[in-house]
Amino acid sequence: MSADTSPRGGLRDLKKIFGGGSSNVRQFGILFSLIAIIVLFQVLTNGLTLSSGNLINLVSQYSYILILAIGMVMVIIAGHIDLSVGSVAAFAGIVVATAMQDWNLPWPLAILLGLFVGVLIGAWQGFWVAYIGVPAFIVTLAGMLIFRGGNQVIGNANTVPVPDGFTVIGSGYLPEVGPFTGYNNLTLLLGLVIAVAVILMEWRARRVQKIMGSTPAPLWVSVLKVVLLVAVVIYATVLFAGGREGTSFPVSGIILGVLVLFYAFITRNTIFGRHVYAVGGNKLAAELSGVKSRRVNFLVMMNMSILASLAGMIFVARSVASGPQDGLSWELDAIAAVFIGGAAVSGGIGTVTGSIVGGLVMAVLNNGLQLLGVGADLVQIIKGLVLLIAVGVDVWNKSQGRPSLIGFLTRKSKTSEFPPEPPAVVPTSGTPETARPSDVSS
Amino acid sequence: MRKLLTTTAIAAVALMALSGCSTRTDSSGGGDASAAAGFAADSLIGVALPSKTSENWVLAGGLFEDGLKEAGFKGDVQYAGASTTVKDQQDQISAMVTKGAKVIIIGAADGGQLGTQVKAAHDAGAIVIAYDRLILNTADLDYYVAYDNFNVGELQGQALLDGLAAKKPAGPYNIELFSGSSDDANSAVFFNGAMSVLQPKIDDGTLVVGSGQTDIKQTATAGWKAENAQSRMDALLTSTYGDKTVDGVLSPNDTLARAVITSVKAAGKDIPVVTGQDSEAESVKSIMAGEQYSTINKDTRVLVAQAIDMVKVLQKGDTPEVNDTKSYDNGKKVVPAFLLPPVIVTKDNAGEAYANDPKLSPLTK
Repeated sequence: MSADTSPRGGLRDLKKIFGGGSSNVRQFGILFSLIAIIVLFQVLTNGLTLSSGNLINLVSQYSYILILAIGMVMVIIAGHIDLSVGSVAAFAGIVVATAMQDWNLPWPLAILLGLFVGVLIGAWQGFWVAYIGVPAFIVTLAGMLIFRGGNQVIGNANTVPVPDGFTVIGSGYLPEVGPFTGYNNLTLLLGLVIAVAVILMEWRARRVQKIMGSTPAPLWVSVLKVVLLVAVVIYATVLFAGGREGTSFPVSGIILGVLVLFYAFITRNTIFGRHVYAVGGNKLAAELSGVKSRRVNFLVMMNMSILASLAGMIFVARSVASGPQDGLSWELDAIAAVFIGGAAVSGGIGTVTGSIVGGLVMAVLNNGLQLLGVGADLVQIIKGLVLLIAVGVDVWNKSQGRPSLIGFLTRKSKTSEFPPEPPAVVPTSGTPETARPSDVSS
Repeated sequence: MRKLLTTTAIAAVALMALSGCSTRTDSSGGGDASAAAGFAADSLIGVALPSKTSENWVLAGGLFEDGLKEAGFKGDVQYAGASTTVKDQQDQISAMVTKGAKVIIIGAADGGQLGTQVKAAHDAGAIVIAYDRLILNTADLDYYVAYDNFNVGELQGQALLDGLAAKKPAGPYNIELFSGSSDDANSAVFFNGAMSVLQPKIDDGTLVVGSGQTDIKQTATAGWKAENAQSRMDALLTSTYGDKTVDGVLSPNDTLARAVITSVKAAGKDIPVVTGQDSEAESVKSIMAGEQYSTINKDTRVLVAQAIDMVKVLQKGDTPEVNDTKSYDNGKKVVPAFLLPPVIVTKDNAGEAYANDPKLSPLTK
């Protein structure tokens, strides 16, 4: 029985991939579901899901939705919603495409122009939300109409092609450099860097735990965790690097990766990030504690529009043209990713990494169903049901005081999360959640 | 229980890592060799069509499914969702490439936004055929199969002249011109085709455009919407035809033709000679009733059969026949095209033209 605590500790440590907070179990459940879905489709598609070509597709197909999810989770944590992201993306896309076509603007400048458009739109929407006090739902509903119309005015409802240089951000890959190894060398290097970072971070975490006087998990748990993570990184690296000649890890994936790291740090480790949670959790309390809630709301809305512009440009680059249909229903994909990833409708809860995993669940599901040849009509139904069930189970379990289906599977490990004592104190059998009436009854 | 679950979770991750090592080798692409030498007779053939909102695409999808199966191929026919057509289509084409489709036939939702996917397909060794709508700005498109849209315009122009001659032995004739939506590349092709026939007659005075509106911008019908054509015709009747009669109207398709007729009827005037296109059931009825003068039959069955024939030829490793190697410049290359001749239909030949069409044939009886 003594060995029993260790795997639980391992699970708990795995959960630390996510940030802290009460949505932890939920997010770990989602990671678990993601792995289950990948394994399921890997079997159903005879190994196509985890093939090089498909993984590369998956990243470039969903990178811009995931970028939206990063901004959206911050908006939702702050207690708002943004329905305008698809239209803003389409608007920025057509401005950039037209600027390059009609004014011969060089593409790097065009990207800056696109981001600037995002700043302006964000300032406009942020002003109405933060300083006038119009609910974000209304402001962005208006924005959805305004910027969709703006796209059609500028583009004359036409499709505007973009030059080849610009397409790098949406359909470019890490270039082939160095000696021939049978793999893309830069992707191998990237994988190596990530693997080393994983090892260093675990080592640092253990050191910090020691300095702070808390008891770190047994050494072998850490080793197992690092070995598993490094194995996944190596596996993914080999797949991404071993794709068809000329393809490798997509540039849009790198942009996404950098943004995830940046915003995970912002939300978790900076004063501004904590203020976003504070404003979303309890606006009055936050204000009384000296948080400038208006400024927080303004910046959060503005940030969303900037990311939406970036996502729009990546999509345009991938499509090699900006069209009147760009961005249709993206807001729904982004919002779905955020809620599947464990955010709460009421605000104050959610994480960037959780939303990314939520977005990946939708992405793998979509991609797997397409590989199986399921029609777009059925795919929509299935995605709708997954969203409803994922959030429904969560809400129901909160009201019932018992964990969700996924939470049920991981329930035992949850117990080590809530009591402040070290894991060894937690009973190894029986019902540790006896305080909860539902467990008594069940 | 807890131990079991934990072990399962860890095992799942480990399993993924292990299974990955074994699939590594087959993950690299097929290369171009297969394109030249043909491919297996039971290969996967992908067909990506726009949303199911138009009857025509639904019909085409069914025909592709049956036709490919009959020819011994594995068909993968996909429609995009109605609200997310472009993205769905991009993803579906990518999935077809991943599954190793040898030929991908694309009826593009937006021909300008598929360059990346067409390139990926081409790089993976698949042959890409644009069906009905040309795919723009890509050097990787192999073939284009469609009805000859310039010819559609020419036939419409000729039908207008024929109809006017039958109605009144000598000119001058008062006519008005309508064209399609300006965001549809085909609109200009139809209009230019028709004008290639009509312009000489306008120049020599046989035809008189009463309103003077002969520019494609003036004649355009936004969104191909009936209501827009109807309100423009209302305005023309009021401004120009108070005391004159309008003898003929060039309409690019059946929906707009019926809108024009509705407008003329409401104004209490005689119905002019009106052209059309698409063989919509309502217009076939109208032609049989002697209202609309002509329509164009672009039989989807023939077009689908032609596309499948191309796949069969490609399977043997041969080069499919094309009959136009200079008209369809998509911005990056001139795409070899096989153009089918459209058929003009009037009351006289309707019975014959729709003899094979189970839906339209009874209407001509």
